[in-house]
Amino acid sequence: MTGGPPMMRGSVFSTILGYLRDVLWGIRSVWGSCLTAIPYLFGSGELSKEVTEQYPDPISSKIADDLPPRSRGFLVNDIERCTGCKECERQCPVQCICVEAEPATDDTKIWVSVFDIDFSKCVFCGICAEVCQPASLKHTKNFEGAVYELPELVASFGRGWVTPEQRLKWAKLRQQIEDDRVTL
Amino acid sequence: MNAQAMWLNPWISGLSFAESVPQWLLTACGLVLVYCLVIVPSGAVMGYLERKLSADFQARVGPNRAGPAGVLQPVADLLKLLQKQAAGDWNWREAIWLLVHTMALYSTVAVIPLGSLLLLVDTDMSAFLPFWSALVLALGTMFLGLSQGSVPGWFGGIRVAAQALAGAFPALIALLCAGIRAGGFRWSEIAAAQSSSPLLWTAAANPFQFIAFFVFVISGLVLLGIPPMDAAFSAPDIHGGVASHLSGRKLTVFRLGRFYCFLLWSVIAVVLFLGGWALPFGLSTELRNADNPRLLQVLELCWLLAKTFLLVLVVTWIAKVNPRSRVDQVTDFAWRVLSPFSLFALIGASLVAGWGAL
Repeated sequence: MTGGPPMMRGSVFSTILGYLRDVLWGIRSVWGSCLTAIPYLFGSGELSKEVTEQYPDPISSKIADDLPPRSRGFLVNDIERCTGCKECERQCPVQCICVEAEPATDDTKIWVSVFDIDFSKCVFCGICAEVCQPASLKHTKNFEGAVYELPELVASFGRGWVTPEQRLKWAKLRQQIEDDRVTL
Repeated sequence: MNAQAMWLNPWISGLSFAESVPQWLLTACGLVLVYCLVIVPSGAVMGYLERKLSADFQARVGPNRAGPAGVLQPVADLLKLLQKQAAGDWNWREAIWLLVHTMALYSTVAVIPLGSLLLLVDTDMSAFLPFWSALVLALGTMFLGLSQGSVPGWFGGIRVAAQALAGAFPALIALLCAGIRAGGFRWSEIAAAQSSSPLLWTAAANPFQFIAFFVFVISGLVLLGIPPMDAAFSAPDIHGGVASHLSGRKLTVFRLGRFYCFLLWSVIAVVLFLGGWALPFGLSTELRNADNPRLLQVLELCWLLAKTFLLVLVVTWIAKVNPRSRVDQVTDFAWRVLSPFSLFALIGASLVAGWGAL
């Protein structure tokens, strides 16, 4: 608020002058920002172009192949390689993975009966894919998941529940393998 | 009260029921018609313009789905909001204060000047009436915020009150400036003191009136909390303030009210300072001489609204390219800058008027 020569500093005159200078500065600042906006309205260059990605119209504006290589889309689990270790279920910060597994014919063979991922809860953090020892759980690049009902967002990769007869058969097989090992 | 329904006469004079209908009913119908045919569509147009303009400034596309270039977006918004379920429990305090707020707001429909034949209330005090409504509106909005029992509501309500108090003083003084030049506060007198030529507008009459015009518009923004002076309704820090707890139909009422505030203030500013509804090329006189009141009403209304929308666009422009002012800075600005300037303009305008009277 103070300006002008030193002998005038603090006087009524300099105070008023400083006040008026501040007001003028405010007006000029507002006017300047208004001018800045003009090329966005009427210009023909880069500034007047919209930067909006009008997904999904046109349809081809962004497809999965356009995404960067490490982008995280929906998860997919290769159930052949999955060991049912439940590490992903334990690490998931939002508890969206549900795994049920039981031993099959022998200790190295695991029957993953349930492997459900609820994508309505998933935050796509990628921790599950990182901790997956057999590297069966991976991110795809697919990101279009619009559905009409929430349950449709649950992806099931499990092999299905085991019947009691099957379980008995496997128990017998395991017993037989154990017996063979003992006799050898 | 007669004046309120008089504008309807050229439209219904040929109908047989016109004589038998009581005056109060005609008045009420007139207000509803003005509201439905002028206020609500204007709110929709303003909403659309505001969104498209801000989209252009920010290199976005803006509404482009509903109708060609998104012109039906306000209708779509309205329909969506109307069918939304109300959030939270029924709060009778909130309902009452929303009612007070809405009544204060739309009481101004009766006093808004929309043309020489569309003057609903034209008394010696008519230019002041929107101010009292604006103050009651601020009261209603403040208590609406306080009644919600939420932090955004509290802060929004207090900010509304602070801004209204700060903005009312310079706005009233600036109004006095226009009244001094016109020689009265009757809408018709204020309009008669000006002409269609921009050189004969009150704002261009002398430098003091020019200052008064700026002070009037800016203090109106402060008084009613319109961007960029909308700290009371800001989204980032208080979640929209008073509006944060409103949803569905209540939010529709409130949001339309915000647009209406802006429209009301711009209409008044145009009538006071920017020549009002005076048609160019002497069309007003010609039409009056030709005894064509319907065309006169429509043309004057369109001309006034065109000027109003231009003013709205300029204010929106400024609002979109400048950051929202903090509430203490807004009130500070109103008391320390707008008020001295309005007093300066009042003194100058009085001197000019006195000089002319000598």
